[in-house]
Amino acid sequence: MAYEEFGLTEGDFYSRNFQKGMREDTMILNLGPQHPATHGVLRVIVELDGEYVIRAEPVIGYLHRMHEKMAEGRTITQYLPNMGRVDYGHALGWNGALVGAVERLAGFEVPERAEYIRVITTELNRITSHLLWWGAFTLDLGAITPIMYAFDDREQMLDILQMATGSRLTHSSFRFGGVCTDLSDRFIETCKAFVPHMRDRLPMYRGLVTDNVILRKRLEGVGIFDADLCRRYGASGPVVRGSGIDYDVRRAEPYSVYDRFDWKVPVYPAGDSMARYLVRMDEMEQSLNIIEQALASLPAGKIMMPKAPKVTWALPKGESYFATEGARGKVGVHLVSDGGKFPYKIKLRSPCYCNLSAFAEAARGLLLADALAILGSLDLVIPEIDR
Amino acid sequence: MTETLFDGLAVQSLAKCDPAKTGLLWSVFLSPDELLSAVKRLYQAEYFIEDLTAIDAKEGYLLVYHFDHMGHPGRVALRVLIYQEAPELPSIADVFQGAEWHERETTDFYGITFKGNPNPVPLLLMPEMKGHPLQKDDGARASLADLLPTGEIVRTVPGFDLLTPKAESGAATPA
Amino acid sequence: MYSIINSIPTELIHIVIGLVAIMAFVGIHVLVLVYAERKGAGHIQRRPGPFEVGPHGILQPLADAGKLIGKQLLRPDHADPILYWMAPVLAVFPVLLLFVPMPFGPVVTVQEVNLGLLLILAFSGISVLSTLLAGWASNNKFGLLGAARAVSQSVAYEIPLLLTVLCIAFQYGSLNLSTIVEAQGSWPWQWNIVCQPLAFLIFLACAFAETNRAPFDLPEAESELTAGFHTEYSGMGFGMFFMAEYANMVVVSGVCTALFLGGWKGPGIDGVWWFMIKVYALLGLFIWVRWTYPRVRFDQLLNINWKWLLPLATLNLLGTIFFMKIF
Repeated sequence: MAYEEFGLTEGDFYSRNFQKGMREDTMILNLGPQHPATHGVLRVIVELDGEYVIRAEPVIGYLHRMHEKMAEGRTITQYLPNMGRVDYGHALGWNGALVGAVERLAGFEVPERAEYIRVITTELNRITSHLLWWGAFTLDLGAITPIMYAFDDREQMLDILQMATGSRLTHSSFRFGGVCTDLSDRFIETCKAFVPHMRDRLPMYRGLVTDNVILRKRLEGVGIFDADLCRRYGASGPVVRGSGIDYDVRRAEPYSVYDRFDWKVPVYPAGDSMARYLVRMDEMEQSLNIIEQALASLPAGKIMMPKAPKVTWALPKGESYFATEGARGKVGVHLVSDGGKFPYKIKLRSPCYCNLSAFAEAARGLLLADALAILGSLDLVIPEIDR
Repeated sequence: MTETLFDGLAVQSLAKCDPAKTGLLWSVFLSPDELLSAVKRLYQAEYFIEDLTAIDAKEGYLLVYHFDHMGHPGRVALRVLIYQEAPELPSIADVFQGAEWHERETTDFYGITFKGNPNPVPLLLMPEMKGHPLQKDDGARASLADLLPTGEIVRTVPGFDLLTPKAESGAATPA
Repeated sequence: MYSIINSIPTELIHIVIGLVAIMAFVGIHVLVLVYAERKGAGHIQRRPGPFEVGPHGILQPLADAGKLIGKQLLRPDHADPILYWMAPVLAVFPVLLLFVPMPFGPVVTVQEVNLGLLLILAFSGISVLSTLLAGWASNNKFGLLGAARAVSQSVAYEIPLLLTVLCIAFQYGSLNLSTIVEAQGSWPWQWNIVCQPLAFLIFLACAFAETNRAPFDLPEAESELTAGFHTEYSGMGFGMFFMAEYANMVVVSGVCTALFLGGWKGPGIDGVWWFMIKVYALLGLFIWVRWTYPRVRFDQLLNINWKWLLPLATLNLLGTIFFMKIF
């Protein structure tokens, strides 16, 4: 259908469409959907002059599952586990966004202990996500070893998270009005012991990898995102904080109990890949601070509000928007309900989607290797982009 | 600050919402013609685009553009109603380039055409696909008055009754 | 019958036997190196490495080789069949020749060649040709980019490599590797690395680039070009490039040992063992670096060469000549 509409007759739709504005002395290279640097099924078509990128166009949708349509055919409680599948890296960020939107719409009061548990697990999850990114990103740059160290730590954290959420990857332990399981004493003990261990590891990572001269030369000054570009594309998360903008949803639109802890928002002004890298490395440390404080001041009490909604519970009428700070940026859930059995409409705002849309502009005129370094520095999780 | 942002624009309705209850600070109804100038003002005031989607309702497609500010947070929702018979409105990808993808996605899901989008090819759905998955059947559509909270209306044009609950159904006329 | 055998020049028999021995030597060392690399990588990454096939995974390289030999050989459509299959062959066989003048020990040299160094430098240039052919003939854009990278990298790095080798050659007035080893003493301070430290470092950097090893493994940069010039090769097609890479590493380490580290000489009894110990120390360095460092970018790679290594190598050569004229 779309072929005739765009004046094409045969072949691969996106390559042919991309070819239209091609110069005569250039080459079109198709990276992906299976390519070592695209982490999943992202596809990027680039037009190369030698090794310089003239144009780039990400082609997405290979992992599209139409989560927004799924929402229209099930109750909101049945839909909650979908959130663990949107972003395999930071599932609890998405859990928090949906749960927050529903609680905002229905006016639920969440017990304090549940909020603390949410914060602790979300931050643990954020560190696992950043470690995964760190390993994969250094792999993109040709350093093969860091990912093994990252996975060692991540593995221990997943074991800890498993005690609290019951799963290792697609966590969905949040419930409307609370969380599903309380923290066991063993969780608290292990987690308290793990935080100083992880804190000791971070300087080692800095010494082994971050301060490496080759890594710095590969990242410094490469792929600059200025503040204006971030605004025009709606970038968020470590990407804007690496561009000198002090914007973190946990601070800007305080939710849960983040305002009770003492932590900093790491900001680097350079806007290059190195700045984004450093923001994430510092964020791990800040997450550890939050976890430590939350564990120390964990209040007693219930983990579910009284009369928590059942599976068949229908949302009240109205509209709500809730944003959380995911590992990759601002996660948003826009919820519209007509009071019926199923939600009327759900829109998922994916941070990676917006960050990736800026890639084409940022990569223009760079070397192929630099373009791939930018892709890596955006911390892409394809299921989240495609939804 | 946002209160004065839309001065001089023919805004159909400007309402202040309670962020704790809806997540929005301002809800602004516009006609498709006013959209670009409103968006330009938001760009000049250093807002960033959050997302863009449509709500398929009885009255038509209600396009919802969410903007937020990084310095002084407060979400602004621009709402534009277009008719299902002629689903077309101007693209804002000139001002906010990030809107290009959101618009392509909305085209995929709802079949809405954004005039002036620089690369209007399917984004998330495959090019061979026919139909638009998020369009609702006629019977399944709800009226906007049932879906959206009115908020505290700051100003409105006379005759704007989109959000006033009506006894009987039927396409309302945007002013 | 006897007279026919008798009429074959003894030197030819000598060389044929030598070549067969080299092939066995290369084959065994590739297997050992694959094992060493995988174990080294494992221990650097804090995992045991291969452990299942044989005690401590010692038979793993054999299993790998068996797998590679058993795999189907594929050729992409529209790829030039002759050039496509010539490339891996061309990658392996010149490398075997490079072992001919290699001074393994006082008597263990296949054939002492007066211009041994020149022979090695000349034949090592052919490996670039095979990379170019592989990338060009496989009708693959990643391969093409990898080949283009390989050529500009090899051509660039061969120059400082040559200049450092010239330093040593001038110093001893000989291109015969055995003579150069002979001229060095048994103790580490009598080796060339002491009087030519800069040349040694430049040689080492060029060695990394010439053998396409990380951090200079740009022709096959995995995260950018999937596998660069050998993207399309399967089975032994890939296996031969793989063998050639390891064989090249051995050659480069051998030459480096002979030129800078005193060859077969060492404290105590001179012999082949000293040569092999030094070669393996250098190979260990290759492995260690590969699993530690990220990859440089292509323009940086060329900048390192043209802006640093080449001027330094030239200065070093001029300095050497200057000292030799004076003393």
